Amino acid sequence: MLRTRELTKSFGAHVAVDAVDIEVRPGTLHAIIGPNGAGKTTLFNLLSGELRPSSGSIEFAGRDVSRLDATSRSHLGMGRSFQRTNVFPKLSVFENVRLAAQSRTEQSFALWRTAASLRDVNVRAEIALEEIGLLGHRAQPASELAGGDQRLLELAITLATDPVLLLLDEPSQGLSPQDARRLIDRIGALAERYTIVLIEHNMPLVMGLADEITVMNFGRILAHGTPAEIRADPAVRAAYLGKKPVLSPSKGA
Amino acid sequence: MTRFAVLVAIVALAPLIVRYPELETQILTFGLLAVAFNLLLGEMGFLSFGQATFNGVGAYVAARALIDAHAALPLALLAGLAAGAASAALIGALAITGRGVYGVMLTFAFNEMAFYIAFQWRDVTGGDNGLRGIPGPALFGLSLDDPTRYYYFTAVVVLLAFAALLRVIDSPFGAVLRAIRENEDRARAIGFRVRRYKIAAFAISGALSGLAGGLYAELFRFVPLQAIDLDTSTNVVIATLLGGIGSPYGPLLGAAIFTVLSNSLSHVWSHWPLVFGLIFCAVVLFFRGGLWGIADRWGRRAAHA
Repeated sequence: MLRTRELTKSFGAHVAVDAVDIEVRPGTLHAIIGPNGAGKTTLFNLLSGELRPSSGSIEFAGRDVSRLDATSRSHLGMGRSFQRTNVFPKLSVFENVRLAAQSRTEQSFALWRTAASLRDVNVRAEIALEEIGLLGHRAQPASELAGGDQRLLELAITLATDPVLLLLDEPSQGLSPQDARRLIDRIGALAERYTIVLIEHNMPLVMGLADEITVMNFGRILAHGTPAEIRADPAVRAAYLGKKPVLSPSKGA
Repeated sequence: MTRFAVLVAIVALAPLIVRYPELETQILTFGLLAVAFNLLLGEMGFLSFGQATFNGVGAYVAARALIDAHAALPLALLAGLAAGAASAALIGALAITGRGVYGVMLTFAFNEMAFYIAFQWRDVTGGDNGLRGIPGPALFGLSLDDPTRYYYFTAVVVLLAFAALLRVIDSPFGAVLRAIRENEDRARAIGFRVRRYKIAAFAISGALSGLAGGLYAELFRFVPLQAIDLDTSTNVVIATLLGGIGSPYGPLLGAAIFTVLSNSLSHVWSHWPLVFGLIFCAVVLFFRGGLWGIADRWGRRAAHA
């Protein structure tokens, strides 16, 4: 589904992402973890198209997308979420999601009909809100949602663009433990229908959820494998020295 | 819809109540300009500080069409509209390359350039003497060369343009403009080609501004250099903020109040901008939604009571 080859990004002399090869297989939830400064966010921005690689390539569904911008990748089915909540604050929850669904139609330059009359778009938006459990908040302005719900809305917006692949950038960042749990549960449910690349700092959350994990450190891949393999990997343990509890299996996931 | 019906009624009755059709026509043309400006500011979140550019281009082109080609009035107005749209699409495409305040400064700079071109190009614009010799308005053989008749002609054109704009605001296209206003990066990430929408919004705004310019040119059969100068751009910003940017009706209200006050106060006291400045500051500081925001709140409260 998604594959990188020798993917590299350098900023001046600093190599943030160094010859990274990742393969995300269809239908899996692939987590990318690593300590701060490991190059996770740079990698994410390369995958989503916010940054162009210095060298190497990204292939999505058999197509080289390395030179495509974020908008084009979105239209190919790569839907991304943002690390910090990134919604349309003054618009209603429904309108937030409706706009995302509208972006998939040819109707967005229509000047002579009302936005509310695009039936398919409305239906798609309602399904996305339903999937994420926010249908009850549809009329509220996005800015009035609680923090955890805003993050869910963020996901609903991405879902409404009909993605094949979800790129999620540290979705639990800044959330309370309960909200993070709720969000991760939602992501777990989505994993049954979507291929997901999840960048996460919160390792216990990832351990119970991921099919495959890639651990990054200093811009390189440190280890790759199933959660069990990662947990047992001595190199990973060394990189996370002093943070051993983090690697304990998570309960209830 | 009810709001629009009330607007139509007010526009239809105004000259019967206060017999000052020239002033009332000016309110309409200036109102159209403010409404066009607010498509960019209120809906898309872009402050165009050069709205007079498109107004002036439309006025000169419509006037030249009337003078040189003896074009029928509707055709001349369409020419002004097209010229306004083209100039706005061009300037908009350049201005939006600058983010935030830089984009604003670019519209300002282009307005200044347009002004100097108009000032220097006397053969076409009449320079600082203004462009004179525009034939009187007529429609399919019917003379509109009477202030009240011309007022009603202008009223029909402006109301149609306003109704069209209301539709655009409610359209899927309008929804994308609000998405851009609220969060441009997110709009891009969900797959909207933001640049195209911005340029199209500029073109629509410019079209209505050019139409306003054409109507204004025919009103006094004269295009003063003022039609394209920065003062006019500033006045559009002031009138719109005064009326309120949250609704398309706000700029209309602001334009009406601005035009009436600037006409009446300037007769009474030559330092009237001082008074106006104080009113403006009070509205911007204490009534963020503008005068329309206040009126709207009252209306809702009355409806609840």
